[in-house]
Amino acid sequence: MNLLEIKGLTIHYAMRANTVHAVNNVSLVIEPGQTLGLVGETGAGKTTTARGIMRLIQTPPGKIVSGEILFEGVDLLKISSAEMRSIRGKSISMIFQDPMSALNPILTVGEQIAEVIHLHEKCSKREAEERSREMLEMVGIRPERAGEYPHQFSGGMKQRVVIAIALACSPKLLIADEPTTALDVTIQAQVLDMMRELKDKLNTSMLLITHDLGVVAETCDAVAIMYAGEIVEYGSLERLFHNPKHPYTLGLFGSIPSLDKDTDRLNPIRGLMPDPSALPKGCKFRERCDYACDECRKEEQSLREIEPGHTVRCMRVAGGVLNG
Amino acid sequence: MHGHLVKERKELDLRALENMAVKKTLWQDVLARFLKNKSGIAGFVIVVIMILLILFAPLLTRFDYDAQSFPDRFLYPSSLHPFGTDNFGRDLFTRMLYGGRISFMIAIIATFISAVIGTIFGSAAGYFGGVVDTIISRFLDIMMAIPGLLLAIAISAVLGPGPINTAFALSIGGIAMSARIIRATVMAIKTNEYIEAAKATGSRNFRIIRKHILPNTIAPLIVNSTMSIGGSIMGIAGLSFIGLGVKPPTPEWGSILNVGRDYIRDFWPMTVFPALFIMLTIFGFNLLGDALRDALDPRLKD
Amino acid sequence: MGEMLRVEHLKKYFNNPRGLLHAVDDVSFTINKGDTLGVVGESGCGKTTLGRVVIKLLEPTDGKIFFEGRDITNIGKKENIELRKEMQIIFQDPYSSLNPRLHVIDLIADPLKAFRLMGRKAQKERVLELMDMVGLSRRFAYSYPHELDGGRRQRVGVARALALSPKFIVCDEPVSSLDVSIQAQILNTLQDLQEQHQLTYIFVTHDLSVVKHISTDILVMYVGAMVEKCGAKELFKKPLHPYTKGLLAAIPVPNIDYKREKIVLQGELSSPINPKRECRFVNRCPYATDICRQEIPVYEEVLPNHYVSCHHVREINSL
Repeated sequence: MNLLEIKGLTIHYAMRANTVHAVNNVSLVIEPGQTLGLVGETGAGKTTTARGIMRLIQTPPGKIVSGEILFEGVDLLKISSAEMRSIRGKSISMIFQDPMSALNPILTVGEQIAEVIHLHEKCSKREAEERSREMLEMVGIRPERAGEYPHQFSGGMKQRVVIAIALACSPKLLIADEPTTALDVTIQAQVLDMMRELKDKLNTSMLLITHDLGVVAETCDAVAIMYAGEIVEYGSLERLFHNPKHPYTLGLFGSIPSLDKDTDRLNPIRGLMPDPSALPKGCKFRERCDYACDECRKEEQSLREIEPGHTVRCMRVAGGVLNG
Repeated sequence: MHGHLVKERKELDLRALENMAVKKTLWQDVLARFLKNKSGIAGFVIVVIMILLILFAPLLTRFDYDAQSFPDRFLYPSSLHPFGTDNFGRDLFTRMLYGGRISFMIAIIATFISAVIGTIFGSAAGYFGGVVDTIISRFLDIMMAIPGLLLAIAISAVLGPGPINTAFALSIGGIAMSARIIRATVMAIKTNEYIEAAKATGSRNFRIIRKHILPNTIAPLIVNSTMSIGGSIMGIAGLSFIGLGVKPPTPEWGSILNVGRDYIRDFWPMTVFPALFIMLTIFGFNLLGDALRDALDPRLKD
Repeated sequence: MGEMLRVEHLKKYFNNPRGLLHAVDDVSFTINKGDTLGVVGESGCGKTTLGRVVIKLLEPTDGKIFFEGRDITNIGKKENIELRKEMQIIFQDPYSSLNPRLHVIDLIADPLKAFRLMGRKAQKERVLELMDMVGLSRRFAYSYPHELDGGRRQRVGVARALALSPKFIVCDEPVSSLDVSIQAQILNTLQDLQEQHQLTYIFVTHDLSVVKHISTDILVMYVGAMVEKCGAKELFKKPLHPYTKGLLAAIPVPNIDYKREKIVLQGELSSPINPKRECRFVNRCPYATDICRQEIPVYEEVLPNHYVSCHHVREINSL
């Protein structure tokens, strides 16, 4: 059985003057132990999707308009808030981008880890503290530092603490929203390395939200590329990286200066992402696309399978116009 | 994209752009944003009504503000005396209108003086820092240590009573407050990269303060000023009460209220009407100030 | 091509409550006209301070700076302001580097106004010309910065830096806060402008793939000190310093077939406050020996035009 299955998730924000279509008909699957990378630029709807899974969308103005979020077969959108609270932090936990603001400055890191354990597992305070020390050791921090405050830790170390909190109750699913974006490269490498190790050890599934295709290549098993609230390309890591098809995905790869090849000029995608409160009809990407035709303007694009386990939201690709 | 740009270039020469921009000069922008704010307009209406009442006082009443009439003491509101009469039988409505001239004007002048002087000290301290900041800040600390009213009393005692002297005495106490607010704001603005950018473009210090820093301090300054107008009205009352502000029989809101306090159990009009006027004025200025702050910030356009 | 900027033993220290912060410690290099020197390093390595000091936005603590052969280390305030016409800077954060209360046209005209260079009308014409140059549509002339997206804001920053027609520009992480597709657009624009106007750049960044793409030479910094400097391609083909090797290995590459040596540098950056007289990298270096704790390594030319400061560079790379 799939651990998480999202079907047709749609999230809107009703603002005073208009409606922001943040997430439109998104469907995703995460298998046990699998890491899915959700890739896209600012405003693509990645974080909103993640918050939707956790039911952390502020309502109003946000609203989950339709869809199902099946976690171990149970639709999270149908259970009570009390039931949802018992899942958050226990079965599903989340890591946010900014480690600086994710920790409470007036509690020691040990207390903050123990708090989560105490909340979800019926154990004594002392046991929780004991477990929090173990968690610190697991993320590569000396357990003696449990009594220190967040400001005594560097950025990389804080993010390790955040990860320790997230993993404290051995969740089945970890949602990591740009967990290493705020960190330096060598520290990022350390943290990613550690996350991979822990994930394998605890058999946790992960939804990794990032804008960095390099991080995806090194961490994920499957990839979903998101653009203007939609999944535009979805497949296993190998299929998608060996055979990227959607013009947007190709554009993303063309925008990154390459380390392994020498290029004189980059091939960026022209223009900007459309305003999510005024999305164009038909294909959302067509205004920036070099291959757009009249049909793209008229027709709402659907995800079509181009090879087993690899779907693309582009009729030109599916129609065989775009190949290579 | 390139062809698109070239086309646009031909269409948009300087004159076309300026025509486009006519609607977008800074002050018209501000006005447009202000007009969208309903509570701001309410505040503006209140303040304007107050000013009109004060300006046209002689046309609105047929009494003199100091005409005493012993038999008509403590009359309750009637068609003849809409607000009733006071302990000397003077028409309260008339006294409120004329009293407003003093209260309003002194409060505005005092606030204006303290805002201007405070801005000069505060921006110098905040922008230059170091020794300049230390000297100005210590000086402000000393001023803050003296209770505002006490300072005003001392200054009034030296200068003697009278509206202008009162305004001046009250403004001194306000300088420290507005200087501190400006200093804190300037220090926060200074950390923005656009200040460093201005230095990098070759701007001199005075130009940076004038062009890039002061316009960004307007919001907190306006909020503080609208608040302090209310405080000043009360301050004038306090000074008048001990005989250092406005000399009787010149009416003034605070002193009417003060006198009325003695009769609060038996005769309500003498406290309720001045209190209502003071409250409405402060309320109007606060609404106006909040709306101005928002209107002056282009980021809050929507 | 001749020499544009030469820096000799440049130092910049800051007083800090806990001691003397060595932000830039003994840095020397030369940039030729029309070239781009990429300065890379992690946060706190002094790269941003270096960028500010070489154009005299900050006064150096020690060392010499020569601009087109002229010593500008100790020039007066007036000369410093005149220098702005020749040396400019593009800032990292296109949000905080633009005054929110000014229209785009006034933001770009700001340097022209500061120098009272031309009449108001000529200034505006010049601004429109600059907007065309940096690929910013004229219809944004009377927009406020908050009405623009990050990429367009950064184009405003670029246009402002170009307003006085400088010869030399420090680009301080100009694309770090932008999305990749926008980042690529801005990088292309910066390259085009360099070609058209024979500009010389110092490109400060933490992003190694960006710096490889845009630079002629690359200088790697670590906690205030120079670690390695050589041609851009050479650095990626043949990194000699253990830190550079670790840094290159740490970059996630979006290519699942790209195989390389796996090195994960352990530990964190040492403190730049009152550093000991030792190699700055000693605590994280897998090759560290006693000498590394006793002496600061000499910065020397190990291979032609390839400078490294490491005691063991020859053994490690079997040179």
